[in-house]
Amino acid sequence: MNDSSKLLLQRIVRRIPVQMLKATLDKWGRLTVEQRQAIDFTQSKWALTQKLLSFCEENGVTLTQLAELEMIHVIENPNQGMWYTFQLLDPENDAQSLELTQFKQQFKCHLSELLRQVSVKIKKHTDEAVWIRIAWGGSFTKPNHLKPTYVVHHLQTPYFFVRNLTSKLKPLLSQALTLATRHQGVKEANLSGRNLTSIRDLLMRQYQQMFPTKYPSPHDEEDQPVLNQYIEKEQGHVATHRRRMAREVFGDGTLPQLQSAVYKLDTKFKDPSNKTMTEREDTFKCVVKFSSINLLESLRSCASSGIASAPVTPLLSSIPLKGRNYFVVTDNTPGPSSQRH
Amino acid sequence: MSRLNPFAKLPGLNTASVLLVENEEHFQQSLAEALVKETSVTVSVRLAKSFPLPVENDESRPRIDLVVFIINLTSELSFQSAEASLKYLEPGYFLGKVCFMVTNARSSSVPAERLDAVRRLAASLYCPLLFAEDQTQQGVTNAAERLLTILKVAAGFVPFTSSLYLSNLTRSTLPPDIDQPSFD
Repeated sequence: MNDSSKLLLQRIVRRIPVQMLKATLDKWGRLTVEQRQAIDFTQSKWALTQKLLSFCEENGVTLTQLAELEMIHVIENPNQGMWYTFQLLDPENDAQSLELTQFKQQFKCHLSELLRQVSVKIKKHTDEAVWIRIAWGGSFTKPNHLKPTYVVHHLQTPYFFVRNLTSKLKPLLSQALTLATRHQGVKEANLSGRNLTSIRDLLMRQYQQMFPTKYPSPHDEEDQPVLNQYIEKEQGHVATHRRRMAREVFGDGTLPQLQSAVYKLDTKFKDPSNKTMTEREDTFKCVVKFSSINLLESLRSCASSGIASAPVTPLLSSIPLKGRNYFVVTDNTPGPSSQRH
Repeated sequence: MSRLNPFAKLPGLNTASVLLVENEEHFQQSLAEALVKETSVTVSVRLAKSFPLPVENDESRPRIDLVVFIINLTSELSFQSAEASLKYLEPGYFLGKVCFMVTNARSSSVPAERLDAVRRLAASLYCPLLFAEDQTQQGVTNAAERLLTILKVAAGFVPFTSSLYLSNLTRSTLPPDIDQPSFD
């Protein structure tokens, strides 16, 4: 095995936690049963790496097969690293009837036309997601498997999620994907997060939502237990109303985990007590960032407890409604707008 | 504009009713739980965010013996909401049946003018001004104890004393140097 394969194997073993290593190796299937049984998973990672190296040399495992091992691990644990979303625009007539083999062939073909030295691996996961692992090379260098880009795309949806892509290679990937999915353009969808399942659920609205009704059912209203018969709230309906509106905007139950929301403000300074700043002609640029372990959950409790005013301001409600967490706010529009949307 | 009337209804047997008004709706919950623990009388607590109170509850509401305005000094909105609610009370309440409770007075982010403004308001209405500490359980218990003293008088459980007599002793007065700049 050459050096780059050894490096890749070392990296993979280092990245995967020991509890998951056994299952991942079993799924990979490139080691025989005796070899798998011979591995002692309580050893140190270095000892494990040496053992695996010797087994892989015995079996003649290639670089691409090692890449497959890494891919299996990433597919099982997608919620690491930073994922960015892109949206495909202007579908052509046959975009809706695109199927997997055609997509795979077209994508590999287009990408290798653009960049000769590139290694692509495409896998379809059980939940209809197509995972693509790309190792980029230069005009004269072999593909670098230590810094692969991962792309997740659901066929027939206009979105794809990318992890670990440099800005230099972004136009190449965008072009290859746009052509392969039979669209005519691509733009950034302004949604990023650490948790792939969450941003996908948010974008495709796959979380438990609550729809506005004129006649709410008594089950919905009964969430506050009667604390004490001697304590009574005069304006209890205000709190219930607020809670319902928060749940209508942000959804019910467990919400997708977003880590941050960024608002880039490009508006005129407005503070009646500060004359010098208000009199300036040009706009006041600032960036506001909300970050949290679970941003939507915290925003929902802000709205239901009254810290954020109800009805929820469109600045906050756009996060789940439009499925974005990066906004540019200018003076011309009352709510957040993007430069191109 | 219907105002809250202190003597329009008959009192309940061995019951004292207190109305806690707070804009943030936070401290009133723990204070209410501490108040109902009193055993010698039955304390009935009603919680509100601000006046006017909903008309639907007018029939079922008992006679309110004491109205407590909880003002969080760190928020200007809290003070303004309390001030705006005052006009919904009949003048009969201001003869010892209204009390102001202030939280977060020790916080360094509070401008001194706000505390002065609350003091002036309490003094002008001849109402007692209590300071409470809402972050600890002990603070909540203490505040509840002091409120209960005033509540029992206002509900008529202390013989030979009425809330008007008590208000002569407990009403807030302005310190003579309130207009001087402070040196904090």
